[in-house]
Amino acid sequence: MSDQHEVTDLAPTPGERLRNAMKARDVKITIVFGVIITAVFVVIGLWFYPKFMPEIMSENMKRGKDVIVYFTVISAPIAGLVIAVALYTLLDRHHGENPPEEAASFRTHTPIVFAWTVISALFCITAIVWGLTEMNVNSEDATENAKSALVVEVTGSQWVWTFNYPELGVQSEQLNLPLDRPVEFRVHSVDVNHSFWPVQLGVKVDANDRVTTLAHTTPDVLGTIDIKCAELCGLYHAYMETQGKVMKEADFNSWVTAQGGHAA
Amino acid sequence: MTTLDQAKVSESRPNPPKSLITKLNMGTGMIVGIVFAEVMYFWGKSMWDRQEAVMENRILTLSMFAWCIGFLIGIGAFIGPFRWLIGKDLTDEEQLFLAGKGQGVSRYFRYCTDHKVVGIQYLVGVMVMLGAGGTMAMMIRTNLITPGSKWVNAEIYNSLVGLHGITMIVAMIIVSTGPFGNFILPIMIGARDMAFPRLNALSWWLLFTAIPVLCSAWFFGGIPTGWTAYAPLSVQAGGGMNAFIVTIIIFAISSAIAGANITTTVVAMRAKGMKWNRVPIFVIGATMSVALAIPAFPSFMASQMMAGFDRTIGTHFYDAEFGGSGWLYAHLFWIMGHPEVYVILIPGVAILMEIAPVFARSPLFSYTTAVVGFAGIVGLSVLVWAHHMYISGWMPSLNGPFMVTTEMISIPTGLLFLVLLGTIWRGRPWMKLPMLGVYALIWNFLIGGITGIYLSDVPADDYLHGSMFVTAHFHYTLMGAALTGAIAGLAYWFPKMTGRMLDERSGYISFWMVQIGFQVLFLGMFAAGSQGQPRRVADYEQVFATSDLISTIGAYLVGIGMIVLLYSVIHSWRKGKIAPMNPWGAKTLEWTVPYPIYLENFHEAPVVTSDPYGYGRSEK
Repeated sequence: MSDQHEVTDLAPTPGERLRNAMKARDVKITIVFGVIITAVFVVIGLWFYPKFMPEIMSENMKRGKDVIVYFTVISAPIAGLVIAVALYTLLDRHHGENPPEEAASFRTHTPIVFAWTVISALFCITAIVWGLTEMNVNSEDATENAKSALVVEVTGSQWVWTFNYPELGVQSEQLNLPLDRPVEFRVHSVDVNHSFWPVQLGVKVDANDRVTTLAHTTPDVLGTIDIKCAELCGLYHAYMETQGKVMKEADFNSWVTAQGGHAA
Repeated sequence: MTTLDQAKVSESRPNPPKSLITKLNMGTGMIVGIVFAEVMYFWGKSMWDRQEAVMENRILTLSMFAWCIGFLIGIGAFIGPFRWLIGKDLTDEEQLFLAGKGQGVSRYFRYCTDHKVVGIQYLVGVMVMLGAGGTMAMMIRTNLITPGSKWVNAEIYNSLVGLHGITMIVAMIIVSTGPFGNFILPIMIGARDMAFPRLNALSWWLLFTAIPVLCSAWFFGGIPTGWTAYAPLSVQAGGGMNAFIVTIIIFAISSAIAGANITTTVVAMRAKGMKWNRVPIFVIGATMSVALAIPAFPSFMASQMMAGFDRTIGTHFYDAEFGGSGWLYAHLFWIMGHPEVYVILIPGVAILMEIAPVFARSPLFSYTTAVVGFAGIVGLSVLVWAHHMYISGWMPSLNGPFMVTTEMISIPTGLLFLVLLGTIWRGRPWMKLPMLGVYALIWNFLIGGITGIYLSDVPADDYLHGSMFVTAHFHYTLMGAALTGAIAGLAYWFPKMTGRMLDERSGYISFWMVQIGFQVLFLGMFAAGSQGQPRRVADYEQVFATSDLISTIGAYLVGIGMIVLLYSVIHSWRKGKIAPMNPWGAKTLEWTVPYPIYLENFHEAPVVTSDPYGYGRSEK
């Protein structure tokens, strides 16, 4: 490689220096690599994760998914750049028992260090702001719906979940919920820590002994919910799971009546 | 072993002093240790009724501590301090004997103060631990090969998960700073030995005493809590939990000693002329790592002491029924737990920063940026622990601030990428085994880093917390980045530590099998986590079957690759090609000393006039 590839000292103004740098063959090839890899990552982000996720049955679940999809898309150019640089260097490999010839000697390059830091800080701020906003939307929803919410007391014990609907006078090992009605889970444990995870609803909260923790969501799709325990809780942790249903208001009311409760 | 015999030739064999020290070794240590443990056990049995769980825990815990103390007495760890008590010190001959002068292989089984001996002891110890932890990983993956396989029952499975976790964590904490921090680091900075040679030996033999204790957990009912050992589950658990508690307390002491020793050595014993901006980057990384461990591990130790008190004398630190709190445990644990992952990661990255300039023949890009990156990570890492507790319900209003600090870590982490990329850019990479590690790290750490940003985000973590996604994420950082760095370091420094080259063919085969298997294994696990499979489950539903089968196939590839690496190391150590003094043409000080390395490393104290990265065609 000849010295014309040296980025420093080539031109007086930063704009010219940048333009000259972009003309170098290795920079061009790296940019092409970077664009291709970025595209691959974008596709993976839009396709891979949502493909594997279970059915989305609440806004909370949707927000959690969106965060991952968009973060993947935003970080795709960074991943593309990193991998492109690494791949480009691999084009001209050296094998054998003796070291290769000495490379160009540049110790540091302040504009690049500065640009890199600024760009990664911007990315970081974007991620932070995005996350905080989504988190606030979640908790705003929860506050707004607190009064109208259906209260479900969730009790974790080794290795069973039980659900109590205090307003309806129903106790069950199945978590049935009416469609489009906000729900407040009041979670506690009677022994060790568990973690209450209604998978398709996208919320999760630990169950602690003698403490009540809260989770809020609104199921907005009819279907089956898998309830799992997400905190190792002893011997049969893997089997501490049950199912539930999101059902139409009328079906829910008749289920409540069948259980001996009084429908609201 | 011929390599060890070579050491004898260069060093004249002095007459051993007539002293108790010459009679003590690992064997006497084990005898005294077992006697102590037995005496404690039977004395405890006669003192306390063994029917109650508290009494049983008390007897077991005290017996395990008695073994450690007995072992250290038996191997002669306290002879020096005892002499000080009576106003004397070891004689010169005795000190030379302790340094292992002219003892050949037997010094590896003694309380030896030579940092090179301690380094080899750590290396072998780490390999044994990684082998044990890896075997358990294979058993875990075998059980998860199909839903409902029941290859082992849930009790054994939970124990495997806990033991795999803690064995690997302990091994990974010392995997770089143990072997290379002890063997290579003092030579790298031009020191004759560590600042505190006897403490150095103590840190290794303390760690050694913890290994049989941890193994004994298997026979007392295992560690059914995972390596996090959350209370109150840990208070409820059987006798194996005592072994966990004792192991952690011993390990915390050992790592504090090692950390103080390495830090002091680097601060006080650098060669003449080695100013801070001329210190090799591995030394900076290792020092920051152990210095970060010094404030972190006492918190872990305190958490385990309190768990121990709950179990052995009936206190209720973590028992909500009597006013305790499980969240207290979670805090103490993660105040250690998050800095700890950077204690593991930083030395691995630093090793690769040491390797990249040598094999790309170009200076380390922006040394200052590397130091700032490490320092930024160290500083932020103590402020992020509660991101492990987003969904614990402890204080949802603090999730925001912890999310901010956590995501800020991406900035200094990005700087580390910049340094590595800047170093290899416009160089011709010399595709030797150590250099492959640099590329593997760039890929693995990228995936681990980006998935870490997802997990640091509260709405995403609401879904992913406690799922296989988390397991895959931290294996990408700890194994994909830190272990890759350590293995690259082994390939790089193998010639200096054993006098022989690491066999390339088997090394390459191992590298590709491990790296490809690793991608298959953990990409499968990311999928399983996205689908909603919780971690640490002995069994799962049909919907996760494909992802888990893929993971298990990848795991077997990694396992076979690691066996090939083990073969490569053992074979090369015994019969490998004799290494020249500086096979890689590197410029750090350790390559200026011939093998076998003279007892005090340098015949003449080196003087440093520049940093060790003066590669490249011309200096500007």
